[in-house]
Amino acid sequence: MKHSERLELFENVRARYSVFLTSVLWKLTGDKELFTEAMQYSLFGIWQHVEKLKGEKAGAYIYRIALTANSKAWRNRVGRNGEILNDPIDPAEDADERLDRAESAAIVRREISRLPKKQAGAIVMRYLEQQDYQAIAEKLSCSKAGARSNVSRAMATLKSKLAALV
Amino acid sequence: MNDDRLEEILNSIGAEEIPAEVRGIAQDASNNFNKFLRQPSQPAKPSLLELIMRSRTTKLAAAAVIVIAVLAGLPFLPKNTASVTLAGVAERLGQVKAIMYKMKMHVTGSMVPGMPQVSQDMESTIIISNDFGMKMEIDMTDPNTGKKMTQQMYLVPDSKLMVMVMPEQKRFTRMEFTDDLLAQMKKQNNDPREMIKQMMGAKYTDLGKSDINGIEVEGFKTTDPAIYGSAMGDVKVTLWVDAATWLPVLVEMDMTINEKMRITGTIYDYQWNVPVDKSIFEPVIPADYEAFPKEGMKMPEMTEEAAIEGLKIFADLCGHYPKQANMMDLMQEMTAVMIEQASKEKPGDMTETERVTKAMETMRPVQSFALLYMTLVQDKKEPVYYGESVGPDDIGAVLMRWKTAQNEYRVIFGDLSARTVTGEQLAELEKQPPK
Repeated sequence: MKHSERLELFENVRARYSVFLTSVLWKLTGDKELFTEAMQYSLFGIWQHVEKLKGEKAGAYIYRIALTANSKAWRNRVGRNGEILNDPIDPAEDADERLDRAESAAIVRREISRLPKKQAGAIVMRYLEQQDYQAIAEKLSCSKAGARSNVSRAMATLKSKLAALV
Repeated sequence: MNDDRLEEILNSIGAEEIPAEVRGIAQDASNNFNKFLRQPSQPAKPSLLELIMRSRTTKLAAAAVIVIAVLAGLPFLPKNTASVTLAGVAERLGQVKAIMYKMKMHVTGSMVPGMPQVSQDMESTIIISNDFGMKMEIDMTDPNTGKKMTQQMYLVPDSKLMVMVMPEQKRFTRMEFTDDLLAQMKKQNNDPREMIKQMMGAKYTDLGKSDINGIEVEGFKTTDPAIYGSAMGDVKVTLWVDAATWLPVLVEMDMTINEKMRITGTIYDYQWNVPVDKSIFEPVIPADYEAFPKEGMKMPEMTEEAAIEGLKIFADLCGHYPKQANMMDLMQEMTAVMIEQASKEKPGDMTETERVTKAMETMRPVQSFALLYMTLVQDKKEPVYYGESVGPDDIGAVLMRWKTAQNEYRVIFGDLSARTVTGEQLAELEKQPPK
């Protein structure tokens, strides 16, 4: 494919998925620095694989690119071990409760970045994007039962990881 | 944590609204990337872009660490000895003939704004002999591939050479020193003795007693950028000295550059007066290794002439002088320029060797300028640099100046001419706004 064609394709993909990428990467990172990094990795991933992003599977590829970018960004985070506390603040909320909620959300985000790709995709689509199992199955190229199973295994993994931290 | 609680957290994350600032960040990243892709003469092969964005930034980060490692040992001999305690440590270290220690460094951030961030780990073992030179073995992990890379760096005073051996690439690089630089590097090669002297010349605080692995230690901390000749942005260096032997136990470093890069590191596992053999310090280069670049490289000089040449090259490339005189800011500015240049090259325009040689030839005089500035800072010659407001067209404006004697200053002007002036003349010159 010519460079000019790749550029055009890249521009189309970027325009089509930029809102989605912004949304999903923000939900996965919850931190501006991590988000910037994940966004850069995603754009680079799209450019690298732009030829694959033409057909019906484009949505599924974009999920994989976003999840890989998110994992890379989290892996690169140094020394802070995912200790991010920047959830929106509700002034009426009790300070301890707010801290606890922010900490838990940060831990959940970090653990999602460590899940196998299919499980991470399943949990993101189900809970962060509120998609039904049919849509998840299509994007994961599996049956509805398979989608349920991935969500269920992801929840079990997250629960066990979180239980170990409590 | 039960299922309900986990679901509640996940749902709350899912329900979060995207802050406007985050949308702006996404838009900027997207625009920058698009702009980069659409630069004129963008090479048709994606591999060059990949090289620039991944390999090159990775290598530059590694290069930055090596530069820092070398800079840490550059010849800065402070003139004041502010602390009897640290002076005592320095004196104690003066009796040491050979030292071995380890260093861990971690670099994160982006060399160039808008480029993916890198995360580079390096672990080194360094051995220094007063008689034979220095050897540094460096292990790195490529953050993109996870592959381990190794390098050996030798400083061979007798041959006036620094040699880097890269076994994975079957390559080696020779760098020649000038007589001045070598004469000083013979005395201090990334050496804890030098670090003590640097700290003595900077503003520091005594942290009092503490305990490291059962050893009673005394701590000294500095946040004075002068410790690295103002080559970094914010610095924090903490030195822990064995309270009984007066020998260093641990050095902790934390530096940020332009708020874009962060370098953290520790120096530890010191061994004093280790037995050494001359052969350890002789570079081992297998016959099938290739010299890269073939004709070797030269270290930048630290002279006014070389600095002026560097300023001229920078201005010719960019149309303005470097905004900052410190080494790391300058490297970032230069890297951005060189990546832009590389992106304009067509595949096959140059071989890798030619590209690296060209880059080094361009970089070296520019680094001379930063090295001169660092030396002047360390020598407390009150250097001031006006690169942000003075350009090549500001003929009579002071671009940089430093003190050479009581009431005597050396001045480099906007047109890169230089002359020595009195304090009064300098005051008059600095009153004039750039034209």
